[in-house]
Amino acid sequence: MKHENNNQWLDPMLDRHIHREPEEFDFEKWAEKHPEEARLLRNGYKNSGRDAKMKPSEIWRFIMESKVTRYSAAAVIVLAMTLVLFNPFWTPGNGGIVLADVRQKIADTETMIIRGTKTFMNLSKDDNVIEINGLRCEFDLVKYSSKQLGLVEEGRVDGKLIYRITFNRPKRQAVLVLPPWKKYGAMAATDEQMRLMENLSPEGIINMLLAGDHKKLGRDMIDGVEVEGFEFQQPDLFVDLFPKPIFDIQTLEGKAWIGIEEQLPIWIEGDFIFGKSLLTLFNEVRLHEVNVVEKYDVDLDDKIFDTDVPEGYTEFGLSDILPFIPVEAKAGIAGLALIPAGLIFWRQRRKKKL
Amino acid sequence: MKDLEDQILVRQALEADPESFGELCRRYYHSLVAVADSILLDHHLSEDAAQEALAAACRQLPRLKKPERFGPWIVAICRNVARDMLREQQKQRTPIDDRRERKCDVENDNQKAILAEALQQLPQHLREVIFLRFYNEMSYRQITNVLGVTEQVIDGRLRRAKKKIGDYLKKMGFRR
Repeated sequence: MKHENNNQWLDPMLDRHIHREPEEFDFEKWAEKHPEEARLLRNGYKNSGRDAKMKPSEIWRFIMESKVTRYSAAAVIVLAMTLVLFNPFWTPGNGGIVLADVRQKIADTETMIIRGTKTFMNLSKDDNVIEINGLRCEFDLVKYSSKQLGLVEEGRVDGKLIYRITFNRPKRQAVLVLPPWKKYGAMAATDEQMRLMENLSPEGIINMLLAGDHKKLGRDMIDGVEVEGFEFQQPDLFVDLFPKPIFDIQTLEGKAWIGIEEQLPIWIEGDFIFGKSLLTLFNEVRLHEVNVVEKYDVDLDDKIFDTDVPEGYTEFGLSDILPFIPVEAKAGIAGLALIPAGLIFWRQRRKKKL
Repeated sequence: MKDLEDQILVRQALEADPESFGELCRRYYHSLVAVADSILLDHHLSEDAAQEALAAACRQLPRLKKPERFGPWIVAICRNVARDMLREQQKQRTPIDDRRERKCDVENDNQKAILAEALQQLPQHLREVIFLRFYNEMSYRQITNVLGVTEQVIDGRLRRAKKKIGDYLKKMGFRR
């Protein structure tokens, strides 16, 4: 497996340049320098009040504190969520086509290029494709995925770039740019947010999916490649992740076709149904997405994952999305706002009386 | 204790056994320094980063869901610590890169300087595997434990990294 003659002439040079005689680690000294941690190790973690799991309230706080949410950039999160759910490392349930091997292969795969489609439909209007200002939300997709550098998804309509969402892993940044409107939304993740993101990583998603049921669809051929198919349903996958008024994933059905020889996903398609919630701008939405893996382990230029916003773009805010929220939902939002306003008024009156 | 698997040591550390955590520290310290060095390109800072990573890992130990993957987990923490340190350095306007360049000028060692540049232009994940391999002569198997990937991946990364270094050196007129 090892390529013995591959640039071996570099080895002595690299050895001279990098090699160091390592010092032995002195645990006592480290413990002196880190008394708080040493105490934790001595006393155990049971009474430390640290909670290993992220509670729903923390996730809620994460959502509310995020700049994206503050600006009600709902579209960013909807896109981001579907991107993560349908990222190329996604595989179906356990068993079947040596899924352990598939998992290992996915873990070993450095990069992928995916092509496909993403269609947003309005459930209350007989599954018509959603249109925003004359733009049909039926996108041709290209996704670039690198385990080290992150994920990029580009959506085009008639060859024109409509959106580009970039998760830059080393920089811990997510940026959405919308070239037709010269708008962008950006989010820099804190440590806590990164931990949450880790749970939504390919590996995290795989682990969640492995917990569910699946049905074998048998063997088939895709573009001359012999594949085996799986169908699964995971309606309760994200039940505890978001409060329903924020993001209501009602059903998630998918099919994945895995190359028998390659042991890697070749074709993935799925349907999501989202209920009326803040992140779908109070519409009932069906999303259908098809992902076809074009290439594995190709060299991807770091620049693809660049999060620099092009010149002349402005950050979008609430006013940019208000026109797309249905009238009845706006009334609901106004009603919600009256509650805290009423509370403040009541408190002030109470103070005066006292 | 030296023969105990990581997951047993993690479990014991969680049950108030500091020495188990000490063993984990000894087991991974050199790898952490190598990983941090691949980001910071400064050996002394890398030692600090590795020690900080161990402290952060100690605090977050109950969050570790798969104790058998302690190695990749602590390496990920170390990368984050090193990147934070690098950002801090850049904020304080003493970029490590500059310092390294100055060091190379002082050494007046052209070959060394070109090699340093070649390493700098590598993507981080390739530079990391080079540092792990050459810093402490780690075997493929050891690197596998630390990064949580197969030997095939390690081999692929090393080949790609060396090819890039070789190409850069040739471009800069370096002769074998």
